[in-house]
Amino acid sequence: MRLLFPISGIFLILAACGSQAPKDSETLVWHLGAEPDILNPIISTDAYASRIEEFVYDTLIERDNRTLEWKPKMAERWEISPDRRRFTFYLRDGIRWQDGKPVTVEDVIYSFQRIMDPKVDAPHLRVYYQDIEKVEKVDEHTVRFTYRHPYFMALGFCGGIPILPRHLFDDGGDFNKHPLNRTPLGNGPYRFVSWETGQKIVLERNEDYWGRAIGRMPAIRRIRFEIIPEDTVALQILKKGGLDFAGLRPIQWVRQTDSGRFNRRFGKYQFYPPGYSFIGWNMRRPYFSDKRVRRAMTMLVNRGEILKKLNFDLGRIVTGPFYIESKDYNHEVRPIPFDPEGAKRLLKEAGWEDHDGDGLLDREGIPFRFEFLIASGRRFAERLASILKEDLKKVGIEMEIRQLEWALFVKHLDDRKFDAVTLSWVFGFEQDPYQVWHSSQTEKGSNFVGFADPEADRIIMEGRREFDRERRAALYRRFHAIVDEEQPYTFLFSNPYLVALDRRFENVNVYPGGMDPLEWRVTRMEGE
Amino acid sequence: MKAYLIKRFFLIIPTFLGITLITFLIIQLAPGNPVSLKIQQLGGEGIKTETVSREVIEQTKKLYGLDKPFHVQYLLWLKRLVTLDFGESYKDHRPVWTKVKEALPVTLLLNLISIFLIYLISVPIGVFSAVYPESRLDRVLTLILFFLYSLPSFWVAMILIIYLGGGEYLDLFPVVGIISADSGQLPLWGKVINVLWHLVLPVTVLTYGGFAFLSRLSRAQLLEVIRQDYIRTARAKGLPERVVIFKHALRNSLIPLITLMGTLLPALIGGSVIVEQIFSIPGMGRLGFEAVLSRDYPTVMAIAAIEALLTLISLLISDLIYVVVDPRISFERA
Repeated sequence: MRLLFPISGIFLILAACGSQAPKDSETLVWHLGAEPDILNPIISTDAYASRIEEFVYDTLIERDNRTLEWKPKMAERWEISPDRRRFTFYLRDGIRWQDGKPVTVEDVIYSFQRIMDPKVDAPHLRVYYQDIEKVEKVDEHTVRFTYRHPYFMALGFCGGIPILPRHLFDDGGDFNKHPLNRTPLGNGPYRFVSWETGQKIVLERNEDYWGRAIGRMPAIRRIRFEIIPEDTVALQILKKGGLDFAGLRPIQWVRQTDSGRFNRRFGKYQFYPPGYSFIGWNMRRPYFSDKRVRRAMTMLVNRGEILKKLNFDLGRIVTGPFYIESKDYNHEVRPIPFDPEGAKRLLKEAGWEDHDGDGLLDREGIPFRFEFLIASGRRFAERLASILKEDLKKVGIEMEIRQLEWALFVKHLDDRKFDAVTLSWVFGFEQDPYQVWHSSQTEKGSNFVGFADPEADRIIMEGRREFDRERRAALYRRFHAIVDEEQPYTFLFSNPYLVALDRRFENVNVYPGGMDPLEWRVTRMEGE
Repeated sequence: MKAYLIKRFFLIIPTFLGITLITFLIIQLAPGNPVSLKIQQLGGEGIKTETVSREVIEQTKKLYGLDKPFHVQYLLWLKRLVTLDFGESYKDHRPVWTKVKEALPVTLLLNLISIFLIYLISVPIGVFSAVYPESRLDRVLTLILFFLYSLPSFWVAMILIIYLGGGEYLDLFPVVGIISADSGQLPLWGKVINVLWHLVLPVTVLTYGGFAFLSRLSRAQLLEVIRQDYIRTARAKGLPERVVIFKHALRNSLIPLITLMGTLLPALIGGSVIVEQIFSIPGMGRLGFEAVLSRDYPTVMAIAAIEALLTLISLLISDLIYVVVDPRISFERA
């Protein structure tokens, strides 16, 4: 130790005389918590990759920031046939790839074919596109997708399909190994500049962006994504001025970024992305097959207190599976309050009582003892589990915590080998409850708690064919009420995304679903 | 000697095969597989029906070569290995060898510097403690070394980052990566200094815990040697204490330390997950850790195979060094 410091003193002096260049105020420096695997929107599976790909590759349509409804992007308009199976998109004129070649209908068709190609590593996308019968060229500017049956999410799937330049990818080589997977070339507002493995990815503005013609040119010249896996370190770098835009954890938001100095330099913003956390009760287990027991369990989860203790009250208690900012969410369903006495009554009704006086509830000689499955490394789940364990002990229920590494955890879910589990779902702005809630998905699908309700099934199937936004929302609000009645999950929270952004950027708006860096501008410094 | 060498060399091959076979088996037997992880990742909305996913799963297994029976997979892996081809990563479809080559230099640099420092500092401490055993200074040193030894490295790393890495306290050292973003314009010596400057904190964290073991070991060795008859003889001859210690005692006591160096070879490329994670250094530790988590079999196998080979080679080297430094040991009779 003592040897080290004199040496470092020398470094300091030398370093001070040359290593720190002035910061480029035109560059937005963005924190990434992990490195993307690959920058090909058809192959990549992680959120970090899609974050970057969105800047490089445009899609046919996009969601409006304010209304969250679809609006034109590369397609200037679209049509849905009366039988709701054919979706026709009309490409804008003059959209070019960043190498100057025009974007064509063939590119769209080629991209679809790659997604469906078993030799392409895109299983996660392929499952969504199975119901497309064909994609065809109508004329030079028109492409038509045909679905096997009407489906309300089809417009989003067709219009949101990742589109790659065929003239570059279709070279007879292996698509999965194509060099452009690491050095993408798109048609979007930014071009790819460089990627240093494990360190940073740099984009710069595409000066020939087609959006210039319609006034959609972004103002920020360069974006540099810095990969810093530790969030404590990221916050440190943010404070030092090495980052402009970073996500914050709740404790960082409340305790570590409250100084005047920080707030003069950074703006803090929060918004609610679609998703929620929950505790799932395996309804195949004798304990949780009775809905009175499940309701009692919800009454024993002190959600208000947990939110305060674990998340500094940042978040909202949810009561159903839909996006809290959407029309589908039923705000009339109130959260079941924390009520240990009421829970005891319900448990007694269901036959769970301490008959033998050992302090543990039992029924027909079987004590109420179950296992709570959590994924390791999830701080929230770990702390939730220990609070729950204590609270349940007070009413005579013994809960054992079982922590498993993620891959093993997923395997246990797939095999339905659990009593209760905590997890989060993350989804899009609109959502089809089929995969998680339909009774056909109890064996192998994502309905791992085994929820099956005839009315719910009927609503799900009806909803999938309902193209009218309002009518579908009415159906889903009813579905929400059924789920609340049955309590297959104890719904926990929808957590806000917390971010800090350097104040030199202006025109920063927070929309229900997030923020839009394409509209940010750099404030001119004095003397510039 | 030659016969021994040849024998040892040929023993390496079956051992290596055994190690890789067992590793291959363990990876495949471990629950969770890359295909389901991949599909699960975007498990949100959609028209994912059960039969459809199963078909897609089968296609993906085939793509990854996981549809073949286990022994065929292993033999194919071996066949590729002969040409130094470790296959391609499931994560990004790049050759695993490229990924290893990217991660290796940083890890090597970090480990070389820290191992060098550990030896440089602990051996003199050990000698000192042995020369003045049970003195007050010996005890204080021992206490300090064990105190350092017991500090968890992730905690020390965080404390160093928070207090010396800028933000609210002292801004002395960079805490991310191994070179500054703007180092492109720097001359070569500037780059070297920039890298060294970045390495100060990670090397500190990698080093401080290593003193205790080595210095205790060298202390114990030296103490044992000092009690030998020939040291008494040397003293009786009237040699100055300095010559007794450094010429007669120290040299002999260093034998186990030198042979220990042989085992350093695999440690050199192993990398530290904690240090690499906290200081955002893209080295071998992170590569291996992330590969295990995402069940990236080819990458895991490549790292395991390289480590296994290096361990075997370094064991051989250790044995050879024994012969060189200690004339009493010979393999001829064995």
